[in-house]
Amino acid sequence: MMRSILAGLTEFALTLVVVAAVILAVLVPVALSQPDAGEVLRLFLLGPFGTMRHVGNILELATPTMLTGLAATLIFRAGSFNLGIEGSFFVGGIAATAAALLLPLTGFIAAPTAIIVGALFGSLACMVPGYLKVRFGASEMVNSLVLNFAFLYAGVFILNYFLRDPNAGALMSYRLPADFGLDRIMQGTRLHTGVIVAFAACIIGGIWLYGTRGGLNLRIVGLGPGFAQHLGLNTSALIMRAQIAGGLIAGMAGAIEVLGLYNRFSWVALPGHGWTGITVAILARENPFLVIPAALFLAYLQVGGDMLARNLAVPSEVVGLVTAAIMLAVTATAIFRHPAFLRLIRDIKGEEQAA
Amino acid sequence: MIEAIWNNLTDPALFATVLRVMTPLLLAALGVLISDRAGVLNIGMEGMMLSGALVGVLASAWTGIPFVGLLAAIACGALLGALMAGAINGLGTHFIITGIALNLAAASATTLGLYLATGDKGMSGALQSGVLPSLHIPLVRDMPILGPMLSGHHMLTYAAILSVPVVSIMLARTPFGLHIRAVGADAKAAATAGVSRNRTQLYALMLSGVFGGAAGAYLSMGYVSWFAQNMTAGRGFIAIAAEVMGMGTAWGTFAAAAVLGIAETTAITMQALGLPNELMQMIPYIVPVIVLTVYAARRQAKARAHS
Repeated sequence: MMRSILAGLTEFALTLVVVAAVILAVLVPVALSQPDAGEVLRLFLLGPFGTMRHVGNILELATPTMLTGLAATLIFRAGSFNLGIEGSFFVGGIAATAAALLLPLTGFIAAPTAIIVGALFGSLACMVPGYLKVRFGASEMVNSLVLNFAFLYAGVFILNYFLRDPNAGALMSYRLPADFGLDRIMQGTRLHTGVIVAFAACIIGGIWLYGTRGGLNLRIVGLGPGFAQHLGLNTSALIMRAQIAGGLIAGMAGAIEVLGLYNRFSWVALPGHGWTGITVAILARENPFLVIPAALFLAYLQVGGDMLARNLAVPSEVVGLVTAAIMLAVTATAIFRHPAFLRLIRDIKGEEQAA
Repeated sequence: MIEAIWNNLTDPALFATVLRVMTPLLLAALGVLISDRAGVLNIGMEGMMLSGALVGVLASAWTGIPFVGLLAAIACGALLGALMAGAINGLGTHFIITGIALNLAAASATTLGLYLATGDKGMSGALQSGVLPSLHIPLVRDMPILGPMLSGHHMLTYAAILSVPVVSIMLARTPFGLHIRAVGADAKAAATAGVSRNRTQLYALMLSGVFGGAAGAYLSMGYVSWFAQNMTAGRGFIAIAAEVMGMGTAWGTFAAAAVLGIAETTAITMQALGLPNELMQMIPYIVPVIVLTVYAARRQAKARAHS
């Protein structure tokens, strides 16, 4: 037991080293282009921990991506490459807005109701490609890629024709009633109660995946659909359930993001948190528990990037490059499946069996 | 209303519009096709197009020569293809994740590049970049009826259409095409026969990037002379759908790009008639889903009939 934990830690340490190397590889050239290179590195790496307000910003940014990361984890675990999470997130946001503007609710049930509506409608964007895959065998990846945009334009249509406030300057919805807003929980930041939901969801997701029969079945299906079938598992139903669950969570994430941060809905493009969720899931090695630190880490990078943009003439887009490079580096089998590394892991684990 | 739509759809100028709209899709889809046949479906096409669009504008603005812009865009696409191949076969990353990473990186890098070049993150309006020309074919253009149909289109439109038979023959009849198909079908068997997967996929992805870069240049230098943040707006993804609709052949891809071009043109026409333009914008994204589902359903029915 101890040794397998040690083996896990070794892999984690290697991940940390690789990620650190990637950050430095992108950041050092940027830093050298500035008059004070040390200041760039200090601001980016330590700045986000400088004040409680910045720590609050990290949590605030990690809230949506923890949830989309969890959604991506469940879907990937089922062995499918459904990229509808981005669409689900967007639809969740607009559906929650519609619910808040149209449902005559007040008091403490208002916000949860809107979040549930957001989750239900949001799940469609993952459910449709998932269903077409399970029922007809159509590629869920290609379908979800293009359907994301179909859902985007459908949402913008609803915004423009039904929810638009003509008195607002730009294309945005009417003001959301205050009862639908989520409570702010930290002075000076926009951190809201949604962050608690995000933490709880990841922990529940982890317990479910590793501690229940349903989670075990899902992992078996993802690892080998043929084998799962031989065991008598209903693979189609299991895969479908994972797509729906992923869609519900991503839709919920969109709803929470809108109700927690904004008083009007104004997305007219895909916000990108779904894609970040995919990066989070990959970085977390598709483990719901690790989704929490992975999302926090990417949020930390983003806050560091924002601080560079605000204080020095370094645009925050640098973070996008770092994120993309991390995505490649942590999935590089040449590093993590290198014979020397595998031998090391085996040695650490192997002594356990001998002992 | 119906009559108005019909009149618009039968307008001869519409043919030109369809060609104009389908050009970037066709170029990009042919690029995706080459990568797919080599076993590394290029999800990064969107990012390649976006990068090509920016690099084209920058190079054309700096040199004052639009053709240099086009060449730079193509070179940029090929370079990104080489980087993808390096990641996939050198680092051992999954090709889908590699493509997603390229898209993420390109979205950031183009905004960054635009900002560094112009001080603006949204548009390249401040740069004096050029427009690639349309071609008027002598003799042909004077022919009645056929003249206006065949002549006067954009040079990249001709290039895209001529690429269809070229890619088709390349894949079917050249040693390089055979290597691509062999590696795509079974990399191990190909290796046994002495065909290097690494090298073949490198060239295939670079060629894919050439098409992606040209498609990007068409967007920023075809009819307009500016680059805007995220100006590809998912066209790279539609191109992937077009390639899958085309069932792995160049002519099939051409047909699919034409269908999607007609769908988008219909959408533009109906917007002009006052139909909600957001709903019309959905059309090019829904058509591929329907077509792919019908294909899959038919394949499934056939498989059942055989068993």
